[in-house]
Amino acid sequence: MLQPLPLPTFPSLDVNRRKFLQYAGTSVTLLAAGQANQVLAQATPVQQASAEQWRVLSRLGYGPNAALAAQVRGTVSLRGWALQQLDTAYRASQTAPVLSEELQDINAPLPRIFEGERLEREARAKLKSSGEPKDERQRLDFSGPREPLFFNREMIEKTAVWRLQSCSQPEQENPLLARMTEFWFNHLNVYINKGAVRPFVGHYLINVARAHAFGTFEDLLLASARHPAMLHYLDQAQSVAPGTGGAQGNRRGLNENYARELLELHTLGVDGGYTQTDVRELARVLTGWTVGPLMPSGFRFNLRGHEGGSKKVLGHTYPDGFLGMGESEGEQAIRMLAHHPSTARRLSLRLAQFFVADHPPAELVARLSQRFMEVQGDIRLWMQTLLESEAFWDPANRLFKTPLDYACSALTATGGAQERRHLLLTIGFLSNAGQPLHGWQTPDGYKTDAATWLAPEALTRRTDFALALGKQGENLDFLMPYLSPATLQTVAAQRPAMRNGLLLASPEFMYK
Amino acid sequence: MPTNDNALQRRQFLGTLLAAGSAWAAPAAWAQSSNRSDGRLVVVFLRGAYDGLSALVPYSDNQYAVLRPSIAIAAPDGTAQTALRLDDTFALHPALAPLHPLWQQGVLAAIPAAGSPDPTRSHFDAQHHWEIGLPGHSGARSGWLNTLAEMRADNASRSVALGVGEANPQILSGAAPVQLVPRGKSATKQGALGDQRTRDAVMKLYAGQDSLSQAFRAGAQSRMETAQILSAEMADPAMVGREMAAANNGAGSAQGLLLDAQHLGTLMRQDRRLRLGFLSAGGWDTHANQGAATGALANNLGNLAAALVQLRRDFSQPNDVVVVCSEFGRTSAENGTRGTDHGHGNALWLMGNRIQGGRWHGQWSGLAQGNLHEARDLPVHHDFRAVFAQVLRATQGASNTEIERLFPGFAWDAALDNLIRA
Repeated sequence: MLQPLPLPTFPSLDVNRRKFLQYAGTSVTLLAAGQANQVLAQATPVQQASAEQWRVLSRLGYGPNAALAAQVRGTVSLRGWALQQLDTAYRASQTAPVLSEELQDINAPLPRIFEGERLEREARAKLKSSGEPKDERQRLDFSGPREPLFFNREMIEKTAVWRLQSCSQPEQENPLLARMTEFWFNHLNVYINKGAVRPFVGHYLINVARAHAFGTFEDLLLASARHPAMLHYLDQAQSVAPGTGGAQGNRRGLNENYARELLELHTLGVDGGYTQTDVRELARVLTGWTVGPLMPSGFRFNLRGHEGGSKKVLGHTYPDGFLGMGESEGEQAIRMLAHHPSTARRLSLRLAQFFVADHPPAELVARLSQRFMEVQGDIRLWMQTLLESEAFWDPANRLFKTPLDYACSALTATGGAQERRHLLLTIGFLSNAGQPLHGWQTPDGYKTDAATWLAPEALTRRTDFALALGKQGENLDFLMPYLSPATLQTVAAQRPAMRNGLLLASPEFMYK
Repeated sequence: MPTNDNALQRRQFLGTLLAAGSAWAAPAAWAQSSNRSDGRLVVVFLRGAYDGLSALVPYSDNQYAVLRPSIAIAAPDGTAQTALRLDDTFALHPALAPLHPLWQQGVLAAIPAAGSPDPTRSHFDAQHHWEIGLPGHSGARSGWLNTLAEMRADNASRSVALGVGEANPQILSGAAPVQLVPRGKSATKQGALGDQRTRDAVMKLYAGQDSLSQAFRAGAQSRMETAQILSAEMADPAMVGREMAAANNGAGSAQGLLLDAQHLGTLMRQDRRLRLGFLSAGGWDTHANQGAATGALANNLGNLAAALVQLRRDFSQPNDVVVVCSEFGRTSAENGTRGTDHGHGNALWLMGNRIQGGRWHGQWSGLAQGNLHEARDLPVHHDFRAVFAQVLRATQGASNTEIERLFPGFAWDAALDNLIRA
């Protein structure tokens, strides 16, 4: 809880307050709900430009810091700048992410991650009844070697730290790349607290969502299908032909979990035109796709567990040949699904909801779907159509920040992800807000709309976070052009120590 | 436990604290009557499709053990590792043993094959159907508990519905104001609003008439009250043990349910205008290694039982009802990985003094393959809307017109007419 701080002794020296009030006379009321159009219609060109900059920075990234604000202010064409970001972000996706020494484990070769996981399992098996010894280490303290017993915990923490750094340090990670990493991770969601998934989420983020963020959707989908995080999360790793002998001589069989979600969530969508028979047949096609703890890819095709016989998915037949067609059956099926028109529609709707509006114009979704088919799932070319659309730039298409948007944008503004206590604060905020990092249990991913996140009590929790985060640090003057006169006046009237927090807690900061 | 006088003083105190908040009205007088419309309804939703065939075990059906060679709950023989006999057909999972006395007292009942008539096996579609009260409809629509809140409210600006846990569950979303409290201990904290100068400054930021500012002000008031009530309650020595027992909750897990249930009970006891409650727990999608008498599912069921026992303490007025449900059931046969896949019909539970408990209701056609839905799942013999319709008519005073508005096109199910005591 905040303690009152002493008032400034010499108010006349409060230069900053004058600046706020000065700005209050010139800035645009960006974002009062329901009034945006009216206000924007009256706004001067300078004010409109600020509003547009805010939207672009907040949607193609996580909002401004001082450097980004200056960068976009200096551009001749904001639309040109936005399109250029696609290429910059694509190039960045083809390079390794910045990982500090202590975070490198999350992107270690997969056999090493499997090894760490195995050692923890063995250490835990030895504990028996003596119970788990206390982990003496403080949270997010990664110094020195750690006991095998806490391997998974450490990997979860490191993954969270990298994620928060990459969404809030534009000089470390291209903001649009961080945005699309979020989008694809959420579309192909895995849950970090499910047993065997835990240590692999960082690697999955980097090598699936990030690496393919601007590539083709089929490559992304295949990378996800073969990654240990997904293989474990939706139980595909265990799904084999009925009657296959298991490790202890017991018989195992089919698990249709992954096949169903692959159709329902990752590709066609629930109304995309498949039946329970397709789910079952796709599960048969995928039998034998499992984890390979010794393989660099982390993936193994277990021919013994693959179900023979002919199969038929969405009218495509996989004939009964010698031992079936093995691994290529699944690969063909996944490629086919990635290029399906229903997939194009589902992904286009999600993209438009993520970048444009909770209820995007049908015409935009149709155009994106068409484009997706034309460019055969080339994500960069598909997104060009998004950025060239009028809907993307239409100020009437408002978006309310999710808790993750909010946290990352506040961290970006304050540069806060460099301090352990601020990382802890953010992790706690996201949990309480209902959007814990990598913590959505079900494969549908987080919702991103205001209907989900604009809830009365939840708004007040953003205030707690903002005030704690804004307690110290550089002043945030660069935010002024984006805030309303009423906000600036209110903030100016407060003691300096509270001003940063109040700027971050302001109504305007809740929108992107 | 604080008395109602204390609660009133606390509220008046809070009302004056929140200069920018709306005026605080005195709590409505609440009397222990058996008026048929004064009941409180709590819906507990088990997200992920819980395996009802492990909870309400059809032990005497010889197909049961055949279909589930490694995960069947053993037929009752009086020992701890076997199910608890309820009658000649069904038995309780041993982890649900704390519910056995409630069954014996006649306040707990089950409907073994209930659900949504829509055949979807998508969690998300099915949950959407349950929450909007309109199976088969995937478009937007208010949650039916929100619409019910709108019907039950005598003051449009005051919430009569409370959700604990989720950010904004569909079932509570809509035009009527609802109180939403986060999962776990953070519900007990006022945070930055607890400091007056900070609060004043923040309230000024949200002094406008736009919808965001209005939502913020309502949220601030609600949060102050919630935190006051819960922190006072949890400071009570009698509550400390119970709080501790629930402290290790994980977000969204069945383990967090007990603490959420405590918070729900406390808030609804302190504010008698709150008449509709919603709780949920995830972690029920047991595709692999679900276990049997012990294991992952058994742990979840144990947590559910503890939460229901807690809810029984707080919701035992004459017309209070607690309903436990899930979007669909799971396959009657175990799959290839000692778990179960998505099914159709499922067991639904009701608890309350008006419930004709100590027995199960409706139709049960067993596990013979010919009687299963698509030869694999329990059929839905009873539409969930028909179950709620019985409860709403008897304990919420809901008229047929109102029920029709909540559940358009639902059909009254006379086979459930004995569900509620007269």
